[in-house]
Amino acid sequence: MDTELVTLQIDGKSVSVPAGTTVLAAAEKAGVEIPNLCFLKGLAPYGACGVCVVEAEGCPKLLRACATQVREGMVVNSKGERALKARKLAFELLMGDHDGDCLGPCKIECPAHTDCQKYVGEIAEGRFSDAAATVMETFPLPSSIGRVCPHPCERKCRRGKVESPISIAALKAFAADETRRRGEAAPAPAVDEPALAGKRVTIVGGGPAGLTCAYQLARRGAKVKVVDQMPEMGGMLRYGIPEYRLPKAVLKAETDLIAAMGVEFVNNFKIGRDASLADLRGECDALVVANGAWRSSPMRIPGEDSEGVLGGIDFLREKPRLDGRTVAVVGGGNTAMDACRTAVRLGAKAVYVVYRRTRAEMPAEEVEIVEAEEEGVSFMFLRNPAEVAIAGGRVAGLKLQVMELGEPDEKGRRRPVPVEGKFEDLKLDVVIMAIGQKNDPAGFEPLVATERGTIAADRAYRAAFKDEAPGLAPVFACGDAVNRGAGIAIQAIAQAKETAESIAAHFAGRAFEGGLGVISVRDPERIDFSAYEKKPRESAAVRPAAERRADFGEVSKGLTAEQAMAEASRCLKCGCHDYQDCKLIRYAKELKTDVIRLRGEYHPAELETKLVSIERNQRKCIACNLCVRVCEEKAKKGLIGLVGRGFTTVIRPEFRDPSAVAGCAECRMCVDACPTGALRLLAK
Amino acid sequence: MLRIVVGMGSCGVAAGAGRVKDALERAGAKPGITGCVGACYLEPIVDLYEGAELRRRLVKVAPEDAPVIAAAAESGDLAGVERLAIPAEDEEFLSRQTRIALRHCGVIDPESLEAYRAADGYKALEKVLGMTPEAVIEEIKVSGLAGRGGAGFPTWFKWNAARNAKGDEKYLICNADEGDPGAFMDRAVIESDPHLLIEGMLIAAYAIGAKKAFVYVRAEYPLAIVRLEKALGDARAAGILGKNVLGSGFSCDIRIKAGAGAFVCGEETALIESLEGSRGMPRLKPPFPAEKGYLNKPSNINNVETFANVAWILLNGGAKFAAMGTENSKGTKVFALTGKVRRGGLVEIPMGLTLREVIFGIGGGIRDGKRFKAVQMGGPSGGCIPESLLDTRIDYKELGATGAIMGSGGMVVMDETTCMVNMAKFFLDFTARESCGKCVHCRIGTRRLHEILTRITEGRGKEGDVELLEELCRGIKDGALCGLGQTAPNPVLTTIRYFRDEYDAHIRERRCPAGECAALRKFRIDPAKCKGCGACARKCPVKAISGEPKKPYAIDPAKCIGCGSCEAACRFGAVAKA
Repeated sequence: MDTELVTLQIDGKSVSVPAGTTVLAAAEKAGVEIPNLCFLKGLAPYGACGVCVVEAEGCPKLLRACATQVREGMVVNSKGERALKARKLAFELLMGDHDGDCLGPCKIECPAHTDCQKYVGEIAEGRFSDAAATVMETFPLPSSIGRVCPHPCERKCRRGKVESPISIAALKAFAADETRRRGEAAPAPAVDEPALAGKRVTIVGGGPAGLTCAYQLARRGAKVKVVDQMPEMGGMLRYGIPEYRLPKAVLKAETDLIAAMGVEFVNNFKIGRDASLADLRGECDALVVANGAWRSSPMRIPGEDSEGVLGGIDFLREKPRLDGRTVAVVGGGNTAMDACRTAVRLGAKAVYVVYRRTRAEMPAEEVEIVEAEEEGVSFMFLRNPAEVAIAGGRVAGLKLQVMELGEPDEKGRRRPVPVEGKFEDLKLDVVIMAIGQKNDPAGFEPLVATERGTIAADRAYRAAFKDEAPGLAPVFACGDAVNRGAGIAIQAIAQAKETAESIAAHFAGRAFEGGLGVISVRDPERIDFSAYEKKPRESAAVRPAAERRADFGEVSKGLTAEQAMAEASRCLKCGCHDYQDCKLIRYAKELKTDVIRLRGEYHPAELETKLVSIERNQRKCIACNLCVRVCEEKAKKGLIGLVGRGFTTVIRPEFRDPSAVAGCAECRMCVDACPTGALRLLAK
Repeated sequence: MLRIVVGMGSCGVAAGAGRVKDALERAGAKPGITGCVGACYLEPIVDLYEGAELRRRLVKVAPEDAPVIAAAAESGDLAGVERLAIPAEDEEFLSRQTRIALRHCGVIDPESLEAYRAADGYKALEKVLGMTPEAVIEEIKVSGLAGRGGAGFPTWFKWNAARNAKGDEKYLICNADEGDPGAFMDRAVIESDPHLLIEGMLIAAYAIGAKKAFVYVRAEYPLAIVRLEKALGDARAAGILGKNVLGSGFSCDIRIKAGAGAFVCGEETALIESLEGSRGMPRLKPPFPAEKGYLNKPSNINNVETFANVAWILLNGGAKFAAMGTENSKGTKVFALTGKVRRGGLVEIPMGLTLREVIFGIGGGIRDGKRFKAVQMGGPSGGCIPESLLDTRIDYKELGATGAIMGSGGMVVMDETTCMVNMAKFFLDFTARESCGKCVHCRIGTRRLHEILTRITEGRGKEGDVELLEELCRGIKDGALCGLGQTAPNPVLTTIRYFRDEYDAHIRERRCPAGECAALRKFRIDPAKCKGCGACARKCPVKAISGEPKKPYAIDPAKCIGCGSCEAACRFGAVAKA
């Protein structure tokens, strides 16, 4: 027996191993991880993937660590510039030919990266509480957000390429409502984060951002207090979203669940009046500012300060009766729709929406526009207020500049330009400005601000006091008050969730890395959707317009369980089952691989689902040949092999004969060996 | 009475030598055959011998010439065939060569063991059988013979490694999987002088101690296989091959394995996989074949041309071989001279001659009065060499310094009408298709190189593409598993190195300076030359040409796809590249 020991250096670490050991095995012993894809212990070295290449002193060529035997005195560098370059190139080449989705576009598009595919799948299986729990992994307001979210997830839903996207938002609301109805609503399980245990975190603002941040920190064991200026928690969800879209009782149930986790809620608490920001900072271990954007943006036209001109969110909060009044709402977004439909419900005689572009450019959701029209709202497109007409000290009308569409702007929307000299007059009693919101800096002056007047936060959501002194509690900021300003609730939630992670990382002494990192995404233009059978999208019943316009009762009746399951089963399941365990994407992330730089033609591929209990998705196959080798060398079957040459090489049943796999004993070693998601076990 | 000999190599047969031979037989003559003399452009060739002396070499012979040739041979009066005699300048193509590996090609009858023996055949083997294997290896060492398949590794070293490898079962393999486009010297040797290969292999087998040997020859060489098959049978029957070679007690038999046509099987470890019956994919090295080769036994692999030099060296001494050539490269090398050169064919010359001497001296320069642009050395694994480096000597090191390689001897000459980007694309198309698909860098990398080159030649190139090509090339050279992938980028790198301006013209000006890339070509009609016949308009596949009869026609540049059909159709030279 050869028991001679060989000593070598790997990345500066000395290691002694028996002669005949490979560099890869020696590195493992030395605690150095060398990436590898086509290697598997117990199989003969193969050397195909080329990602285990290392440099060795005195050797002119790169060595494949999986196959190179150690030599006495060898000095190996696994992270030399040349080795890293070749390794990175291998990953760029592999990823550029890897026609697979790590995650569904829904999860990617959701600013908070909520696992839509997972909860939709759970709903399809009738596991409604599991679905609600899946949402609760990300944020604590599934019933509320399911009702109000403009659902960016649905915009990119691939089912939309078949006929129409999955009704993801409505499914979320359904699952959460149903779970609560059954009395099964609960926070997601606690997250073990010893560094946060008992840490006092004070959050300013009890809107979607503040509540999400509080919830995620409470799950991790922090002692959280939320202070808010309003009498109840919920922020804009409560004071900006009308009751007919989001009943207060639904929101209350969800905020109660957060309070039940031990989060302390302090309402009617105004910064500057009840305490200064510095005071709050002094009594906690970390401070989070999530105070939102509560000021309506002005139109900047003469007369807008007169009586009868209201800010959109002020109007929505105060809800003054408008019986017999003629009302104009200025703006084309969702707040404008909330305002005009609320105005209808408050008794207005006539309600106009004045918008400077056309209907096609309106940022509001289509369903909101349609329902507003149904409720009797009139739309005036290509009109822009030029002046507020005043009579007796209050609003009497609007002078409207007639507009036309010009060249597209940087977002591709055609820019409205005035038609010179062309004006119209509109007689009315009330003008509601719904053209945007800004944060109110009062009380937050000590914080460093952006040029827009918002609070400046870095990539880890760290904000700073202008006269920053060392040793004070760190300050974080997220939501509508920060950086780019007001957006949709789920964006604020996304920031809040990452803020909580950043705070955890801060106390644990880890680096914070937000976002999804490197992932593989299929090019939807290159997917054939024609094979899917078309199935109509389910939508919830709504109350008739004549009925609903008279009260604030909820418009939508929500999906039924049957509808929800049928709707959820339309999901194409774009995301990969193997994302968590995939070696390919793990290394690609670590090496910060540019996954599309070397994208070109894809290797020929098909999806085989009739091979015993194993699904083979050749599109994701990286031709490491492990399945072939494990079938031959370990299972002693040799049922599959390489077919074709060069780029068109694919793994197929031997002799391209599907019946060749008839001898498969379903040992499934090939599935376990696959370093990526090309092989999958199907339920028997 | 003169002896008639018809050149019956594949090139001769392709040019009609079979019909010439039939016609000669019909005319009453009894023609013998020989292999390929190497002057492919002159085929079919008929030689008239008086005894052993070549009286007249007749070229470009047609079957109709058979009666006069038969008559001339019968009478000995050559006046009737002088019009067919090889011109003096073409004679130079042969006379300026120095032939060792090809010395019998086109001279002796490849199907006759007697003919080979009459030309000192198997004398070297007889000599070797009285020497020690070590002395044989020493003689090869003295000769400086290096692997002629492309890598140029010292032959003695490989033999010695195989000889010293542990194990009593050893194998010898001849790599006759000649795959480079434009290379055919190995085929010529086997077709024209199969016993020379057998003798070289037996000497090598004796030196390393192998009792079994294979010739791995591509199935696309059917004539070579037939002739080798016959030669092996004849040698076996004569006691030269098989048990107890020439009564020496040494035994070795040789078998033929026909390859299925994969280029990568020219790579020695892929060849061994194929020989074992597996898919032809390279193995990791080390272990090298000398240690673990065929059936994991010590094996030695040499190329046909390498073996073809062995008998001569043993007969004439290594020192005589080493006296030819340069300090780094000894002996002679066979090149397959092809492309836009006036005289193309097989050329064997001493190492150290310059490229200019080969292409312009022996090859006669460029055809049709065009200008020389570059020569591609070493096929798809090699690189191009521009005019400014034509005085580079044929030498492993000096050729390597240009970015090209000696390779197996493919020498493709290009003139001004060849687009160098398109040329690189051609070779990458070849290597991308021929990649075995095993390693990532080669399987996907060569494909991406080809895609980028394609978009450049189609006028879709982007700023930064050249840098991307270079980056990919360097990465592929570093990361690929075998020689195929490691050398595949060479045509791209050398064309960028010497013809960067052509890449830039395609990318920045959407222009192909050589006028070869169809997507970037436009044609126009010279109204002064156009007779209004309409021939071009009828041939145009996209109806881009219009006009009235007898008046000058015109091409709509917006519709023109640059295919060149009009240029080919015009009888008046009125269509030209715009």
